[in-house]
Amino acid sequence: MKKFGNFVLMAITTLVFILLLGPLVIVIVTAFSPSDSFQFPPPGFSLRWFFDFFSRDEMRSAFTLSIELAIGSSIVAAVLGVMAALSTARSGKRISGVFQSLYMAPLVFPTIILGLSLLMCYRYVGMPVLAGLAIAHVLVGMPYCYRATFASLQSFDYSLDEAGQSLGASPLKCFFLVTLPLIWPGVLSGWLFAFIVSFGELNTALFLTGPGVTTLPIEIFGFLQFNGGQLVVAAASALQIGMILLIVLVMERAVGLARLVRS
Amino acid sequence: MLTARPFYRRPFFWAVSAPPLLATLVFFVGPLLLLFYVSFMSPSSTQLFGNHATFDNYAQSLTDSFMLLTIRRTLGVTAAVLGVCLVLGYPVALVVARMTPRRRLITMMVLLFPLMISNVVRAYGWLEILGHDGLINLVLVKLGVIDFPLRIIDTFQAVVIGLLTILLPYMIISIANSLTAIDRSLHEAAESLGANPLRTFWHVTWPLSSPGVASGLMLVFFLTLSAYVTIALLGGVRYKLLVSAVFDAVSTLQWPQAAALSFILLALALIAGALIQLVLRPHRVQGRG
Repeated sequence: MKKFGNFVLMAITTLVFILLLGPLVIVIVTAFSPSDSFQFPPPGFSLRWFFDFFSRDEMRSAFTLSIELAIGSSIVAAVLGVMAALSTARSGKRISGVFQSLYMAPLVFPTIILGLSLLMCYRYVGMPVLAGLAIAHVLVGMPYCYRATFASLQSFDYSLDEAGQSLGASPLKCFFLVTLPLIWPGVLSGWLFAFIVSFGELNTALFLTGPGVTTLPIEIFGFLQFNGGQLVVAAASALQIGMILLIVLVMERAVGLARLVRS
Repeated sequence: MLTARPFYRRPFFWAVSAPPLLATLVFFVGPLLLLFYVSFMSPSSTQLFGNHATFDNYAQSLTDSFMLLTIRRTLGVTAAVLGVCLVLGYPVALVVARMTPRRRLITMMVLLFPLMISNVVRAYGWLEILGHDGLINLVLVKLGVIDFPLRIIDTFQAVVIGLLTILLPYMIISIANSLTAIDRSLHEAAESLGANPLRTFWHVTWPLSSPGVASGLMLVFFLTLSAYVTIALLGGVRYKLLVSAVFDAVSTLQWPQAAALSFILLALALIAGALIQLVLRPHRVQGRG
């Protein structure tokens, strides 16, 4: 009986991992296919779809814009997230509870509604497309930075800060020389998570991208809806996966797997 | 007691807390209030919205037979996703919770990785597997099981599979977190008192894991409602859900209609959240979820 139970558990677990990783594996394998359309197994190995990807202006510029946006918005999100965490980590329980849920709200809030409300606001005040898009990306990344920094501050010993100041360091100097280095792993993992989230952001970007200002996920989506079958999409997707894999490896090196999983 | 304060207390407190607070209020709370306001305004052909207040946007959506069908369909898909997520996710969470910390860490990482990839990439992966010339049809035709490719995408099943694989990790991780927090001696106590594994599960493990189940279900529900791209790619023009209706209203510039539909979507999410809380009553259990 117990053996049978374990067998069922392991069978379901295997099925789930195949369901989760299968689509990604298929995408990567077909990205290196030399054929014109989907074939499995691929008839050979080639990089032609990657060359094709970089020879298309709209794909290349979407890729560059996605990277620029992810870098820019994750930095702003990290700065704002750290400020938010500092200002709520030690205030009274009830007040900080309210602010905590406010700062965490964009994480669970249906992002499609967030995107729509921003679009309507932008139309109302006449916001330029790129700035509007960047603001949305900051907004979506901020909760990750806030949460990771907040968690780091929970185990931070505030008497170290007081010691620094009693030894004559200015409050600002004390923050950069004492507090920041000690909470850095949290800040860094939040920052990298904000990068990842911005790089894959879809729901708000669907509303907020415009002609000439398109991110890679939106470009892939548009291509799938209107052009279909060409494998250049597989190459674009494989680049997305590769980029994220790179960030995860950097994170693993810099802050360790344990912190990564916790945030 | 030292009187020195970190700089983010006084006198710099406002300099530190104002920027994130302002950003959140101006770009998150503000736009939502505007959206709420617009949802009660009459439509206009020249501007974003007209200038008299009305309930029509809500009334029309809730009486239109096509919209009601869409809402029913949305609830059907969400219920299926929640059910399958729970049935497949719980056993995996049990396996993960039993692992040694090191192996659990690696498994969690494998679960988290697909979450970091954009939804559009994962939906594309499913298109290559389920599509007209996709992997499944390719194999079935080659084996001679079928003569012509099956239509798998643009159906209920395709949408459920696509959503399922996006949301399963959230479910597994939140259940596994509450399972690992359970004191092992409770299981031993139950067994030494003569309970069989099934009874132990029903009276000990399941109630203690209910906070994780509840937060997992709520997360999955919220994310299902707004997963537009997955639904659009795997459901096509044939199988539309409420979120597609919001999107269609925007592309035909019916702003007040789109706003009202968004708040109907949000109301569904809140009602479902309350129901989940009511049924599972996770607050009975002390500990993390």
